Amino acid sequence: MKELQKFPYPIFFAVMAVLPHLLNDRWQAVAITFLIFAVVALSQDIILGKSGMFNMGQALFFGMGAYTTAILNNEYGWSIVATIPLAILIPALFGILLAGPIVHLRGDYLLVVTIGFNIVFVQVLQNNLGGVTGGPNGIFGLDSLSIFGYDLMSQISVYYFAFIVLLLTLWVMHNLAGSKPGRALHYLREDQLAAESIGINTRVYKIFAFGLGAGIAGLAGTVFAVQYSAVSPEAFEFIQSVLFFSIVLVGGSSVPGILLGVFVMFVLPEIFREFATWRYFIFGFAMIAAMILRPRGIVPATFGKIPKFLIKGGSHGA
Amino acid sequence: MDIFLQQLANGLTIGSMFALVALGYTMVYGVMKLINFAHGDMVAASAFVGLTIYTQVMGQATSLFAVIAIFLLSAITMAVIGIILERVAYRPLREAPRLSAVVSALGASLVIQNGIMLIWGPRMRIFPELVPQVYWDLGGVVISLIQVIILVLSLVLMLALYLFVEKTRMGAAVRAASIDQDAARLMGINVNNIIALIFIIGSSLGAVGGLFIGLYYRGITFNMGWQYGLYAFIAAILGGIGNIPGAMLGGMLLGLFNAFIAGYVSSTWADAFTFILLILILIVRPTGILGERVAEKV
Amino acid sequence: MKFGKMMLALAAITLLAVPAFADSHGGTLKVGVQAPITGSYANEGQGIENGVQLLAEQINAKGGVMGKQIEVITCDDQGTAMAAAICAKDLVNKGVKMVIGSYTSTCAEAAQKTYYKAGVLQTSDGTADSLTEKGYWTFLRNSFPNSAEAEFVANYLVNVKKYQRIVVISDFSTYADGLANAAEAAIKKLGGNVVSRDKIKADSQNFTPVLTNIKSKNPDAIFFAGYYSDGGQLRNQQMALGIKADFYGGDANDNPDFVKLAGSAATGAFIVNVPSPDVLPYEIAKSFIADYQKKYGEMPPSIWGLMNIDGMRAIIHAMEQNKSFDTKAAADYLHNMKEPLEGITGQIAFAKDGNRKGGAYVVKKIQADGTYANEYVQ
Repeated sequence: MKELQKFPYPIFFAVMAVLPHLLNDRWQAVAITFLIFAVVALSQDIILGKSGMFNMGQALFFGMGAYTTAILNNEYGWSIVATIPLAILIPALFGILLAGPIVHLRGDYLLVVTIGFNIVFVQVLQNNLGGVTGGPNGIFGLDSLSIFGYDLMSQISVYYFAFIVLLLTLWVMHNLAGSKPGRALHYLREDQLAAESIGINTRVYKIFAFGLGAGIAGLAGTVFAVQYSAVSPEAFEFIQSVLFFSIVLVGGSSVPGILLGVFVMFVLPEIFREFATWRYFIFGFAMIAAMILRPRGIVPATFGKIPKFLIKGGSHGA
Repeated sequence: MDIFLQQLANGLTIGSMFALVALGYTMVYGVMKLINFAHGDMVAASAFVGLTIYTQVMGQATSLFAVIAIFLLSAITMAVIGIILERVAYRPLREAPRLSAVVSALGASLVIQNGIMLIWGPRMRIFPELVPQVYWDLGGVVISLIQVIILVLSLVLMLALYLFVEKTRMGAAVRAASIDQDAARLMGINVNNIIALIFIIGSSLGAVGGLFIGLYYRGITFNMGWQYGLYAFIAAILGGIGNIPGAMLGGMLLGLFNAFIAGYVSSTWADAFTFILLILILIVRPTGILGERVAEKV
Repeated sequence: MKFGKMMLALAAITLLAVPAFADSHGGTLKVGVQAPITGSYANEGQGIENGVQLLAEQINAKGGVMGKQIEVITCDDQGTAMAAAICAKDLVNKGVKMVIGSYTSTCAEAAQKTYYKAGVLQTSDGTADSLTEKGYWTFLRNSFPNSAEAEFVANYLVNVKKYQRIVVISDFSTYADGLANAAEAAIKKLGGNVVSRDKIKADSQNFTPVLTNIKSKNPDAIFFAGYYSDGGQLRNQQMALGIKADFYGGDANDNPDFVKLAGSAATGAFIVNVPSPDVLPYEIAKSFIADYQKKYGEMPPSIWGLMNIDGMRAIIHAMEQNKSFDTKAAADYLHNMKEPLEGITGQIAFAKDGNRKGGAYVVKKIQADGTYANEYVQ
């Protein structure tokens, strides 16, 4: 188990830094997809894994960031870079507003409510609210990324943009683990009653986690919009949220586990194209098998103690 | 007034289908405290199983006997699949963390949904017209034969289930297991058998619901399970999850709500309104209409 | 498994996988197919792919295009816009010269800009007017635009059948919404009375709430501009609610599944479309359809796949005439054709904006046995 915990970050970063130069266009695109979904899965981990809230609507925040970028660029002519602050803030704000009335709900009720949010969001997009979302088709032909007048159209520049976002996410998560809110979340996930009794305002920290996770997912949404130069409601259906939810739990709420999960879910099917139709069928079995053999996930988190809700549930639920 | 009554009739038809499916969710949740995400896909699977029984076993016969046989054979097939599902995906995780079982249920859902796609293909398949298209015009409100069949058969099945749970010894054991599994075990109830029984009942009621969808709408697709499953699940929560009469009531109310929203407000916003209703209920009265307040263990 | 070993295994898999994906620089002409191989319109998409494969085989057997064999690369856009955008990038990356498809206007539109930027020719049967309004020289429509169908429908409903209370229904897709809006405008222009313009959500199955509202408006004709997968159910539920109005389905309802979905309610419904494959009078059509049946054991699912084949034939014809694989030159040739090409679906020639010239429609009535009878021919 020791080896599992020592994820070789320097090697990983070095490989990822040179990777795009070794790949052709198609595999660069796959690598970018990997980076984007890795960021979303990590943002989901802040809410689900690190804070223990059963959120199954992460695609909402992801999509909100993507649509913020797309609408500002397409309707109002903002440059992509200029949309980034709002693409983080708007989902974060929504995360906070939506989380406010629901964080006190029991586990699976929270899960159902977040599914509901996701479905309402997609329907709002499909119905073309305000005439800016492009309806069921979405928005196509967005500008490419440009900084200081340089047009960064190539796949390689998008790759590095996505890579920087991933590094930023890992840095935020690393800092969170050692910070006051991080420790507070850790305690309240371990034992909410005890955390409250020593004066931790659980509600505030839970909402904080939602806002943070939503903001990061929103940033990933911007990268998504840049990569495909398109956004469309079906990319943010709640079935996507289900995938992120499963990746975090099957991966075990740890960085290597989550990256492995994203790799298996989004990169392997690209390598084995002939299995594309079998993809979800096999994943389904793999999810069941993984949970039976390793109920805490493939690579369980190692920060402090193992989260309680991952160890002991009992037949009556947590 | 005609429109109102017409929407009412349509809403009740859809509502009774929701209710049949919701029973499967609510019974499993009641005893196992698990959202059986695979249930919606089981419902979809039964429509495809019914289609195959019609073409392969019944030789495309459309007699009353053939229709009854299709219903029985599909229900039996789905009950068997339900037992297998419980044994493979849920039983090994009964003592595991709560979230592990949720992921396993999602995995089972993917397996069934994509299993349908691999067996029957990704295309929409067309269900045969087994019930003749007969309509009655009751002073402006048109009711079709299939609507009457769906409504009556659903009510009969739900009544039978209600009587079974409330009036029989086995039903009492089911109720006991859903209140406290450990205590039920101490009283000599074989909880494993009760859970198997619940999957048999839930899956076969779901199978009837799936066949109704096929008969009523004709077009069936491999991924339709999520749509009906979610609605039925909302119905179960609406009525108070774990509560059997609640699921019936919730299904009917949801069908009516959906029909009236679509009819009087906007059909394109019907899903959004349904989920907003769900969210409001969970925030204001999380236990649903008939549910009892359960303190969450911490 | 140890994590290090796991990473090693992953690295090994990746290394093994790489040679398989190295670009093959053969002397082939790469033709992309972007079509819904899975999803609601899968049989149409598979029809397009089958047709392209068949045509490629026939051309390759005769020595290919100027000595180059055709290599067909298919990408499944699932009938969804997002998958179409990804397909477009993928096919461009694989170096295709032309893309055949997609079936739906939505998918064709989602992919358009990518092909335009890369200079890849795209020929689709998508009928939405918006497809040719962007001025992309790469786009060639092998069917006829919605506006042509809308004017035909309006004229038929208002002037020929003299309906007094017309309802127009669509879903939200580019194609259906565009066709319905064009039809509504054309009907009003001719002085017709549109009592209701409704929208349904595709694949939602339950249309009775909308139909119940429509019933109260007492219409005598319903024009549905969406796809067969909804149209069949709409017709079924219309009859179940006892709405007596005549039902007219737009061209995308011309699919055998429409009749199967509606069941006995299909009888008496009308479908508006260009003529169907089996009545195509041209020699080239008869031989191609015979070959198709021989290879696949079934008729092409509809005329739309054949229109796409004609689009492909036209592009290859242009390249051969130019003696060059240059896509811009091929587009220029097609936009300025003096002699139309004899096609499976009639003569092919393109206007400057990429629209196919011509266009004739028929109204077909569905009979009790599920077959069509021509009611009105333009």
